[in-house]
Amino acid sequence: MLNEWLLALARWLDTHAWSTGLHESLYMYAWIESTHVLTLAVFLGMLIVIDLRMLGVLFMDVPASVIARRLDLPMMIGFVVMLVTGFVLYYAIPVRTTQSIWFRIKVVFLIAAGVNAFLFRARMQDSSASWDLAPRPPRNIRIGAALSLTFWTVVVICGRAIAYDWFDCRKLDGAFMYWAAGCVDELAALEGGA
Amino acid sequence: MDFIWLFEWLEASFIADAAKAYGGVYVVVQTAHLMGLAMLGGMVIVADLRLLGVLMTGFPISTVVRNAQRGFNVAIVVLVLSGIFLAGAVSMKLYYNEMFLAKMIGLGVGILFVYLIRAPLLAREADELSPWLCRLMGTASLVLWFTVAASGRWIGFS
Repeated sequence: MLNEWLLALARWLDTHAWSTGLHESLYMYAWIESTHVLTLAVFLGMLIVIDLRMLGVLFMDVPASVIARRLDLPMMIGFVVMLVTGFVLYYAIPVRTTQSIWFRIKVVFLIAAGVNAFLFRARMQDSSASWDLAPRPPRNIRIGAALSLTFWTVVVICGRAIAYDWFDCRKLDGAFMYWAAGCVDELAALEGGA
Repeated sequence: MDFIWLFEWLEASFIADAAKAYGGVYVVVQTAHLMGLAMLGGMVIVADLRLLGVLMTGFPISTVVRNAQRGFNVAIVVLVLSGIFLAGAVSMKLYYNEMFLAKMIGLGVGILFVYLIRAPLLAREADELSPWLCRLMGTASLVLWFTVAASGRWIGFS
């Protein structure tokens, strides 16, 4: 059911002149895509500094809470830019992106990273006074930082893989893969023919 | 100076075979390159915004820059190694690509700037340097590394 709704939404977006215009533009799509990728240096850059601090690798002579607080604003600015450009990129190619298995895994891990960040942040703020300069941050903080780096790496892998057509609907086979990638028509044809 | 021999060597090497053989491996190495970009970007932004007096104010420049430099060193190694592998798949195309040339010049200037000018200056007396010299270095560094990253991204579009 969800697959049908998402595909209907994507097909409706696809009828928009702006969606086609973006997709077929000479430079606009490339500029937005470049902004999306280069903002990684701001968003993921700040996140990596924070997470390496929480893992006890870098900036150990600066209190953990200071790193977390001071780098929060640039990180969030980067995140907002990535989110907005990401939506625009989706809007430019809605149907293929909706049916991309990589885009789907990416969204799942984005949510996982978001939940982890939410929990991680609360724990960081709870205990920052007691271990601010400890040579080894607490275990739960280190686990949170490692999970954060892992989730975001998977997000980047999937984001990069969206560009390739290896798992596009026309190359997939089998009911499970059709369902997972949201290949609604292919799945209907498969079930109708069976 | 013509470097075509370098590209021809890369094209004939096992690196080219490996980079062309498995799309999945290529994506993973691309991701390593992007994570390296993020890490290098993060270190450059933290250090340079400190030099500009925007971020981490109140903490000694030397502390911030020393930590960032350690991260930068790791990131640049990851970037260069993954970059050579990625270049292996398309080396002859890159030889004729102006954006790639721009990126390599920027990278060369950037590495010289970081290790021959910036690091020695900041290692010696970071906290006593003139604020204007610090701002100048911070700005130059941000512009330089942005140019390297942006021309790198544009290789794919050109």
